[in-house]
Amino acid sequence: MSNSAFRSEQSCIELVGLTVSYGSTLALRPVDLTLYDGVTGLFGPNGAGKSTLLRVLAGLLRPTSGNATLFGEEIRASRESIRRRIGYVGHESGLYARLSVIENLTLFANLYGVASTRVEDVLERLDMSERRTTQVGALSAGLVRRVAVARAVLHEPDVLLLDEPYANLDDDASERVSATVLDWRAPGRVAIIATHGAKRVKAFADAGIIIQRGAVISYRRRTATGYEVAT
Amino acid sequence: MAERGFVAKTTLLIRKDLLVETRARDTLPPMLAFCLTVALLLAFSLPGNAVMQDVVEVPIGTVALADVIAGFLWITILFAGLIGFARTFEVERADGALDALLLVPLDRSGLFAAKALSNLVYIAVVEIVLVPVFTLFFTLELGADWLVLVLVIALVDIGFVAIGTLFASLAAQTRSRELILPVLALPSLVPIFIAAVELTSDLFAGGGLGAVAARGWFGILLLFDLVFVTVGALAFEFAVD
Repeated sequence: MSNSAFRSEQSCIELVGLTVSYGSTLALRPVDLTLYDGVTGLFGPNGAGKSTLLRVLAGLLRPTSGNATLFGEEIRASRESIRRRIGYVGHESGLYARLSVIENLTLFANLYGVASTRVEDVLERLDMSERRTTQVGALSAGLVRRVAVARAVLHEPDVLLLDEPYANLDDDASERVSATVLDWRAPGRVAIIATHGAKRVKAFADAGIIIQRGAVISYRRRTATGYEVAT
Repeated sequence: MAERGFVAKTTLLIRKDLLVETRARDTLPPMLAFCLTVALLLAFSLPGNAVMQDVVEVPIGTVALADVIAGFLWITILFAGLIGFARTFEVERADGALDALLLVPLDRSGLFAAKALSNLVYIAVVEIVLVPVFTLFFTLELGADWLVLVLVIALVDIGFVAIGTLFASLAAQTRSRELILPVLALPSLVPIFIAAVELTSDLFAGGGLGAVAARGWFGILLLFDLVFVTVGALAFEFAVD
């Protein structure tokens, strides 16, 4: 797994004074960040605000205050130009349990205008070809996670948001997910992978953010010699 | 591969809903079970030898039997529909599929149309079963006016599924969605169901297309269909976002 072939340079996501409140609970304190292309790990304990931040970036949750822009455009899932650029896997799979793996992926491929050969490619990449006709509801949690990642990368989005993609995965499957992300990675594309197990993502991430109690406490970007503090 | 258009994507989502239902069978069977049970109970509530022109004594006076049976029919359809609509977004909610759907490049009105048309299929199946059952239990004799009844049912269904789907999308975001949906939907549905009962009782009493067309309720039904479909398609975006 290569982690040195990429040097992120292009500003993709800007967050300015972003806050999210659930009633009286402040889930995200004012967040000011510039995220560059490449893979960014989003680390922090349970309840730190990682999922909330990803949902805001996906346009699925409106911030209470502040701004979030993607390639200069305000992030809102109601904007078609924004949402076709986003691939998102949340805590849940986003799949239909009564449909087979291939039926699920073909449905989303057709909705995104993706060729069926791409479905086969992604299935092969994630080693799911043999399970293509199995109903998702009959798969183990780890296999469902792999199909969910397949769905998210299917349309080759510019922004890939993965919330705990390694949950329930064994080492081999985790490697395949990481390889899929690296395969997808290209200049101008940004992936944010939220996880509370930092080790796996640190191995190939171009940047890392640590978030605690809704506040960003560290943001570092990989350089040729190590890491530099970013803003 | 060229990206599909609005109609093709909407059709894909309808096919998905129907495929999931044929495998899960958790929407239509409860609706049908409710309808058949209620129809059976209602059949025993009327005198066995009554005919459509009879009147029935009620505490506030008398009412034509045709009105009573039309009321029975539409109340049964109304509550069966609410049972089904409450499950409209269950398949999307179960594993977070709604988030994935909200991110696909399809206008929100396409999602609304897909859900509403899936509901239309469910309610049509219920009616295809229920109307013959009512015909049998209540000895309905419509002759050539069956087609007029089908027209009335179709017009009622359009407004019913439009407003039912919209409120189902709102109710789906609450914990007690099965309770919230009737509370939200019933007040809005009153006008079209009054129109439905009035027009259907005319048919049951022997009035044909001319009698139905001459009633103001026909126009009211058309008006509410137009309003409900328009409001549903426009407001759905705010409901799901």
